[in-house]
Amino acid sequence: MGPGMTEPETKRDAGAAGDAGEEALLSELGQALVEGSLSDADLLARTGLPAPVHILPQANVVKIGGQSFIDRGRAAVFPLIDEIVANLGRHQMVLGTGAGTRARHAYSVGLDLGMPTGVLSVLGTFVSMQNARMISYLLAKHGIPFIEPAQFAQLPLYLAERGAVIFFGMPPYIYWQQNPRIGSGRIPPHRTDTGAYLVSEVLGTRSMIYVKDVEGLYTADPKKDKHARFIPRATVAELAAMDLQDVVVERAVLEFMANARIRRSIQIVNGLVPGNLTRALDGEPVGTVITAD
Amino acid sequence: MSEPESAASEPTRIDPRPAGVADPATDPRPRHHVRSRLMRESLLDRDVERSTESPVFRMLPEAHVLKIGGRSILDAGREVVYPVVAALASCLERWKLILGTGGGVRTRHVFSIGIDLGLPTGVLAQLAAADALGNAHILGTLLAPYGVVAIPPEIFGHLLPLFVHSAPGVVFSSVPPYSLWEHPPGVGSIPPHRTDAGAFLLAECFGCKSLTLVKDVDGLHDADPKQDPSARFIPEIGLAELRRRRFATLPFEPVLLDLLANARLLDRFQLINGRRPKRIQAALAGEHVGTIVHRDA
Repeated sequence: MGPGMTEPETKRDAGAAGDAGEEALLSELGQALVEGSLSDADLLARTGLPAPVHILPQANVVKIGGQSFIDRGRAAVFPLIDEIVANLGRHQMVLGTGAGTRARHAYSVGLDLGMPTGVLSVLGTFVSMQNARMISYLLAKHGIPFIEPAQFAQLPLYLAERGAVIFFGMPPYIYWQQNPRIGSGRIPPHRTDTGAYLVSEVLGTRSMIYVKDVEGLYTADPKKDKHARFIPRATVAELAAMDLQDVVVERAVLEFMANARIRRSIQIVNGLVPGNLTRALDGEPVGTVITAD
Repeated sequence: MSEPESAASEPTRIDPRPAGVADPATDPRPRHHVRSRLMRESLLDRDVERSTESPVFRMLPEAHVLKIGGRSILDAGREVVYPVVAALASCLERWKLILGTGGGVRTRHVFSIGIDLGLPTGVLAQLAAADALGNAHILGTLLAPYGVVAIPPEIFGHLLPLFVHSAPGVVFSSVPPYSLWEHPPGVGSIPPHRTDAGAFLLAECFGCKSLTLVKDVDGLHDADPKQDPSARFIPEIGLAELRRRRFATLPFEPVLLDLLANARLLDRFQLINGRRPKRIQAALAGEHVGTIVHRDA
């Protein structure tokens, strides 16, 4: 017995877990979850039903690229802001921001100094937060707020009231960001494409649109290889079979799509072309559509 | 860094040149780059990814991370918890402890209600954080006489070095901050990154000396020893063999196998039985008193 510890006057049954008795748990599954192992494949399979609800089925998640878009400055960003404003009232938009060239600088400095991947994730978060703040000031006069992860509980209200909301694209993993596979380097594998995608999956939104500076997916980086061919539509399995050296969205997005319950397609559009975002919001197959099925 | 580039040592400056195929003279909307070795690169290019493999700095190399089981220890009542607390207290005299707590039976219950209501995995992960945090406060209360503090998750990571240097130990909710951003699991809807994963990722990022999972079994067996009395104990196992043998259940989160395979600093963790509290001190002293799961050479 340590300080502060005294013997109880009466011994009580300590095992809450097996104490279903007269007040049984909600369901047989509930009982199994309380008593069973969460590594049991049979038990896990039973947790797939019922199908998840779509929390915000009218919303669209739109990710605005960092290096591909915001780093181009006014010439690229202002027309996109105008297009977002033109869609207020037509489509609900949850706007996520990428990081871009300053994140590359921070990663370069951090890697040289031996920063763990979790610290690099913190650095990337800061850059995507800067970009979210800048976009939010350009949309501020329309009453559109920037929210951090802790404020996501208010997101539905803002969306209903103002039609759009801005968040930073990095998932809030910070020090808990996972390492890439050994040999695949040490840059956080789950960055802003992934963070935006996971928002669309958990909220059950009607679309996930990536606004970049290329038409979509190519067989190689079109900025470096003139022979790169455009791919308007592909499945996750087809992409895996192509084993591309470079892809247009983070590979984790493609992995997660295969496991997703709701968000089983994404769309990549060239936001430098006016009207492309609107067409994507309207459900047109502009750019590249990648599907899990 | 494998290939230090001369550009990296130059003073940082804005490079106004556009990237890629666009003609710099005619592209009206060039990207503005900050000079760095990753400048203009696709971070999704495999060769670029590979080029960033590099040694990792250890932040807290003397601290030990222990995950104290929720259902297995903290829900099991005074007869189990008090001796564990006493054992942890004796360890505080020799080692700096970072103590993560599991969520236990309340997390299982909120999962079952949430699943019944059709709430997605990310919401279940968000809900689970509350139970482990409650348990962190329980453990923090019991260790308060020794100067151990339970730290709120909002400041835990950033201030951890301060706490580790100024207190003998800290307690945290071991749920990683994945919340709504939890990964969709391949099967079912239970969040795959729970409190074992949170403790692992923390120990890996901070470069801690060891990770010990304190539960209510002696370690890994070839079957669940609570169901099958003939289950055989496995004192040590590597990742390849662990995957190959495809045990029906594991006494830790299966995602640990992936996390350990990708770890740069941690090369093992040990699972021990907290119902034999003396093993806690032995494990921290480097003794083999449970099951050691190690990375393959």
